Amino acid sequence: MMLVMNGRYEDAGHEEYGHPERPDRAIAALQGVDQLHLESDLRIVNPYAATRAELVRVHEGAYLDELGAFCYAGGGDIDEDTYATYDSWTIAQYAAGSGLAVVRELHEKRDGVGFVVTRPPGHHALRDRAMGFCLLNNIAIAAAELTELGERVLIVDWDVHHGNGTQAIFWDDPNVLYVSTHQSPLFPGSGGAYEVGGSDAIGRTVNLPLPSGATGDVLRQAIDEIAAPTIDEFNPTWVLVSAGFDAHRDDPMADLALTSGDFALLAKTVAGYAPGPGRLAMFLEGGYDLEALRDSVAATLGAVLESPYRPEAPSYGGPGTEIVSNSQVERTAALRIAHEAALREEQQ
Amino acid sequence: MTESLRTIAVGFDGSHDAETAVRWSMKLASETNANVVVVNAVGMLGRFDNPTVAFKLEDSVRRLADEYGLDTTRVTLHVDDGDACSVMMRMAEEPINASMLVVGSRGQGKHPGLLLGSTSLELAEHTTIPLVIVPS
Repeated sequence: MMLVMNGRYEDAGHEEYGHPERPDRAIAALQGVDQLHLESDLRIVNPYAATRAELVRVHEGAYLDELGAFCYAGGGDIDEDTYATYDSWTIAQYAAGSGLAVVRELHEKRDGVGFVVTRPPGHHALRDRAMGFCLLNNIAIAAAELTELGERVLIVDWDVHHGNGTQAIFWDDPNVLYVSTHQSPLFPGSGGAYEVGGSDAIGRTVNLPLPSGATGDVLRQAIDEIAAPTIDEFNPTWVLVSAGFDAHRDDPMADLALTSGDFALLAKTVAGYAPGPGRLAMFLEGGYDLEALRDSVAATLGAVLESPYRPEAPSYGGPGTEIVSNSQVERTAALRIAHEAALREEQQ
Repeated sequence: MTESLRTIAVGFDGSHDAETAVRWSMKLASETNANVVVVNAVGMLGRFDNPTVAFKLEDSVRRLADEYGLDTTRVTLHVDDGDACSVMMRMAEEPINASMLVVGSRGQGKHPGLLLGSTSLELAEHTTIPLVIVPS
């Protein structure tokens, strides 16, 4: 199968000394792709700077103005985690445009799998706020275009941090199903199993929090037991993935215990939800250990493209099976409460 | 207003501005019999910070509480994952149920006059309970 990727754009200008979200990350991800030796099975599409009209589908215009002005004034620290430089506004627009370009290519040709290698990452960015290293929510910008075209979009977010920005943006959108696996407790502190979507989209948010030390088998149990029935019912016409690789056991930002082999299994499962070729795109989010990032990218794409690449073995035996069971109970209770509230509102 | 003032949640990142806000909150608590929850938000980079930071914050909170004659049953340090704005907004919910949020006008490392990333301005826009912004 063909891999469709965005061409490189100059992202070195978005860097702060000592910050883990750094240009080497994109290089490590590309080294992961190189390990697959795809040659003629790799198609590159031109990145471009997303337009204001494309960005305002997701972000408030006032926020975009402020972010642009802040960068052009020289940038600095936006909050305790997030920085911007003079070049960050342009680079962030290219990141968003890269996602759109890859998704459009897949949509039009109905062929291949997409992998969007961009930085800064996006899934923490809210409509009106930068956060957690993220300036623009790249995956949400692509998903918003797809829903405008009438698509039902499944977003699977396997970054180790909950994608609070993406969840918030589509909280009330019945055409987007957001499924997140993440370590909890951990930044940003959201992502409880009881968060199930707004009144217009009850059940369209599925959170699968995992404890520190959880291994791949626990994550797969959570997907199979809690998310899978909801995904089947939603019947997506498009699948996007917030592919962070910081749940890897070597990553310094968190404490899950996944291996690159777990990402391969996960990718295979998620790819199975795409209704056909050209309907799956993965967006790079976190992943801060460069070797783990490189190998996890190779494992993920290798599994989806059915390449002969052999990743490390999947992980088993970590804690969390009872937390998965509790999440199921919590989610069921939250869904009941949400449906009852909606019914009461309807009757009034 | 003071009758319903049961718990004051005040943001604290160790900065001078934040300490001013904590002092203001403790003074108000000592006059109104309210409890004070001193809130420290741990961001994504929090795990890279020097582990002694939490102890230093705890020391500062204990010292300030002593200064205002508030015992440990009325002043607690609450450390929570998230950005400062989101963590402060969660203080209005269970289990803290704060009746007032207090922040300094600028926290650590913020640029004077910068709107982007300003916790106080973000809170002013989104909070559902009274907010006090204490000038430095």
